[in-house]
Amino acid sequence: MMAWKLLWRSWRGGQLALIFWSLVMAVVVVTAVALLADRVEKALVKESSHLLAADAQVRTSRAIPDNWLQRADDERLETVQMALFASMVYSGDNNHLAAVKAVQSGYPLRGLLTLAERPFVTTPEFFESVNHGPPAGEVWVDSRLLPILKMELGDSLEVGEVTLRVTKVIVEEPDRGGSFSLFGARVLMNWQDLNASGVIQPGSRVDYRLLLAGEDSDLANYLAWLEPQLNSHDRLLSPDEAQAGIADTLIQGRRFLILAGSLGVVLAGIALALASRHYAVGQTAAVALLKSWGLSARRVRSLYWQQTFWLALAGSLLGLAIGWLVHESLVFLVRELLPVNLPQAGWRPWLVGLATGMLCLVGFALPALWHLPSLSPLAVLRQDVPVHPVSAMKRLVIGLLVILLMLLWYSQSVALTLAILAGLVVTSLAVMGPGWLLLNLARRLGSRAGSVWRLALANLWRRRGQTLVLLTGFAGAMAILMTLVMVRTTLMEQWRWQLAEDAPNHFLVNVAPHELDGVERLLADNQLSSVGWYAMVRGRITLIDGQPPSDELVEQNNALRRELNLSWSDQLPEGNRVEEGQWWEGLTNFAERHGENVAPVSIEEDLASEIGVTLGSRLTFSVGGLTFDAVITSIRSLNWDTMTPNFYVLFPKGYLEKYPRIFMTSLYLPPEQKPFVNTLLSQYPTVLVIELDMVIERIRSMVTQVTHGLELMTLLILGCGVLVMLAAVKLSMAERLQESAILRTLGSTARRILTVQSVEFGALGALAGLLAAVGAELALFLLQRRMFEAPFGLHVELWLWGPLTGALVIGALGVLYTRKAVRRPPLQVLGNLDI
Amino acid sequence: MIEANHIIKEVTTSEGVLRILDDINLTVIDGEALAIIGPSGSGKSTLLGILAGLDTPSAGVVRVNGEDITAMTEEGRAAMRARYVGFVFQSFHLLPSLTALENVSLPLELRGDSSATEIAHSYLDRVGLTARLSHYPRQLSGGEQQRVALARAFASRPRILFADEPTGNLDTVTGKTINDLLFQLNREEGTTLVLVTHEATLASRCHRRVTLKGGLLVENDTVLSGTAE
Ligand SMILES: Nc1ncnc2c1ncn2[C@@H]1O[C@H](COP(=O)(O)OP(=O)(O)O)[C@@H](O)[C@H]1O
Ligand SMILES: [Mg+2]
Repeated sequence: MMAWKLLWRSWRGGQLALIFWSLVMAVVVVTAVALLADRVEKALVKESSHLLAADAQVRTSRAIPDNWLQRADDERLETVQMALFASMVYSGDNNHLAAVKAVQSGYPLRGLLTLAERPFVTTPEFFESVNHGPPAGEVWVDSRLLPILKMELGDSLEVGEVTLRVTKVIVEEPDRGGSFSLFGARVLMNWQDLNASGVIQPGSRVDYRLLLAGEDSDLANYLAWLEPQLNSHDRLLSPDEAQAGIADTLIQGRRFLILAGSLGVVLAGIALALASRHYAVGQTAAVALLKSWGLSARRVRSLYWQQTFWLALAGSLLGLAIGWLVHESLVFLVRELLPVNLPQAGWRPWLVGLATGMLCLVGFALPALWHLPSLSPLAVLRQDVPVHPVSAMKRLVIGLLVILLMLLWYSQSVALTLAILAGLVVTSLAVMGPGWLLLNLARRLGSRAGSVWRLALANLWRRRGQTLVLLTGFAGAMAILMTLVMVRTTLMEQWRWQLAEDAPNHFLVNVAPHELDGVERLLADNQLSSVGWYAMVRGRITLIDGQPPSDELVEQNNALRRELNLSWSDQLPEGNRVEEGQWWEGLTNFAERHGENVAPVSIEEDLASEIGVTLGSRLTFSVGGLTFDAVITSIRSLNWDTMTPNFYVLFPKGYLEKYPRIFMTSLYLPPEQKPFVNTLLSQYPTVLVIELDMVIERIRSMVTQVTHGLELMTLLILGCGVLVMLAAVKLSMAERLQESAILRTLGSTARRILTVQSVEFGALGALAGLLAAVGAELALFLLQRRMFEAPFGLHVELWLWGPLTGALVIGALGVLYTRKAVRRPPLQVLGNLDI
Repeated sequence: MIEANHIIKEVTTSEGVLRILDDINLTVIDGEALAIIGPSGSGKSTLLGILAGLDTPSAGVVRVNGEDITAMTEEGRAAMRARYVGFVFQSFHLLPSLTALENVSLPLELRGDSSATEIAHSYLDRVGLTARLSHYPRQLSGGEQQRVALARAFASRPRILFADEPTGNLDTVTGKTINDLLFQLNREEGTTLVLVTHEATLASRCHRRVTLKGGLLVENDTVLSGTAE
């Protein structure tokens, strides 16, 4: 086939390389991102099912009605009933208020339960994963229950009126999530033993849960039926809602991937457009020649269209393959760290990749080649036959439309699309206007400088149209790269605590004053250190504005049912922010206005809204039988990203010290020292150890995965950026070489031409770098505010590195191409059809 | 046979309408070698382009083998060129990514000639480039490049060959060899030749010379001998 023959020959000649690789790059970036995003998304859904141990969960304080179960059965859904409650459990003379969870044997429906046959083991080879609950007659418990009750595995445990054998310890429950039971060790028992135990009496506070799993459509039907029947005390949890902090990290990571992918495509698209333009310029004479031989415009069009189509198809297929490799190698690199095997990707990412290749062809390559078939054959006789390419404005509009389409499709987010487009448009505007001024200024400065500078800057000014276009291209590419690198840095910083090796991973709570020295000594003996001790007092809120809270409010809020940790501090703790009101030092005449015995109090914002209090509300606290009043003077938000203790209710110093207090701290416990928990608990059984090491480990592995992703993506995008610069320099060289000016200067020494060109490109690069810093700063402003919820600050480093790297990289590229040109005799430059 | 009647070519420039060709009348008979001579800028290439159907005159009629090509559409003229016409240019116009052989065979391939490569091969033999078949233009000297261009032009066996200053980019010695080759092939193939040049020696080897000056045909002589040279 003629088109293939021509294509192969052009390929061999090297004119197509830049077009081809730009297209491949676009497809690679998009395919890799789409594959990864698809798999991460699937993993996320799976992960959140695990967090529920089901596809959906209904929580209610009444026993699950029979018709709910019947209906679920009709919809072919799997069900498991669960009951959670606090109950005293006994072993010999010892007892403990345990957090009991009675499950039907199908539990968990999603995810696995990790068990061990030895308490406190941390090495995975002792772990055992099962997808069912304990059989009747057995219980599985938290390791810490054993020292508390001075018992061993195999011993029996009394739960109400039944005696059950403790056969295994629980390492991990899929649905324990972030809500750590502060009030008791977990006892997991079989649903069948529940009645016999007699622990559930009318009026007992029980949290019933119905776990559901099945096909999406069946589940949706069922939930649609169920939802109207739920009352205000019932809660329905679907995977979306169950996405905890981990998911946030992944979602941000995914967003970054999509952002990176989109920017990659934009860059590759620009490179493709420039490369196609360059190719078209080179083909002008060839087309004239073909037409002089009598080829019709239709034939020429068909030949070129076929060539571009096959080229795009080959590029897209190669891009799909490389994109798959890129994503696969990334997954392989972090496989060890992955908590769950990533599910396989669907067909959509492949379609996205292929469509990207074809869209790039239509949006960036074809407009540049559009005019070729209508070229006049007269060009074989005359150098100055006018060529009428599709106007730059039209090509720009088509390119932007295609970019808009692709961005919308990839991100499915109007905000992200607009942010990127705004960045692009603002950069172009930021380049065109100020770029013109800067050029003018540079020319004026240059006219006072040495002859090389004067010539170089005058050249830039003389060709200011082309210079401005180049400037936009360079500045755009650089702005995108800068934006990407800075977003990456910001994200990494946000996650730094999660990546810190020695972030606290255990909390010690409920340490009595008389135990403090002993625990402190025990820590020191084991070369451990805590972050410092926080004193607190346990008390409950009894009255709000002098009234007991309504039954309904109490029913809905744990905070009103149980004792809260009250603490005191003169300073606003790190990571806390006063959202409303004043911190202590801002209060004036508090004692005069409210009386000596009334305390100011600061309360966390979510708690405040849950129990319906605002600034100025008066709360009555009951601590160890004594009561006192407090007025809310500030409402705080807490930063949950730091693993330091956070307090919902804070007082200034001098109010709580007279009450019996307990202490808490957090500390980092290296894995090999995990048995320390055992030691501590056997000596101080009432101390509560909250183990976050598993959760942190899991988060860390996910973050590591995402971080690797970011790095690889940034590298890919960098590749795209380099392509743009290459294409732009090549295109401008081709146009320069055909200009008579350079032919005239070919008479002067090659060295001088090289110097002038390097200064020209260097100055161009420096200006582009400066302008890119402006564009990047603006894009970052939009992105960080809207997407990553990070505070905005100026990035001084951009303003320094931008112009510097711009000058170096673009100057170097310019010299590289000029060297090729000055080595060639002038006639060849003119006489040959392609540069 | 080419007949040009009352050809006028005007172009609009920023300084107004410029008349490049002014009432040109010219006939080229089959098998004849015609030289169009004249100083640079006199309109030679413009006239050549119009006679070859690459361009249209502002007024006047050109007939090739009796068909009025000025009345044809662009596609019609393209078909006419494909049927009758070949070109040799001052700046060779070889495709740099194609070997010598491919440059010669390309026009044949494009018209679907199944023995394109063999024909190209034989014409390259005739211009003495047997050893250079797989060389790229950048590996060839200017003279060799123009020989490839000659092989390409004749390989399509055109009835009429248009040559625009074929030796303009070559030194005298090389130019002489190219001229010899051009006339030799022209004689062997019996092609009608329209040759634009400003060299008197080259022109003198044609049957007939016309001279252009400022867009006007000022001299129209006939050489007595019946063959070229
Ligand atoms: N399309 C055009 N626009 C402007 N000027 C033209 C155009 N075509 C030809 N000319 C001018 O007409 C004159 C004759 O051109 P040309 O035929 O190339 O001369 P020659 O081949 O004899 O050197 C030149 O001065 C050229 O600049
Ligand atoms: Mg000419």
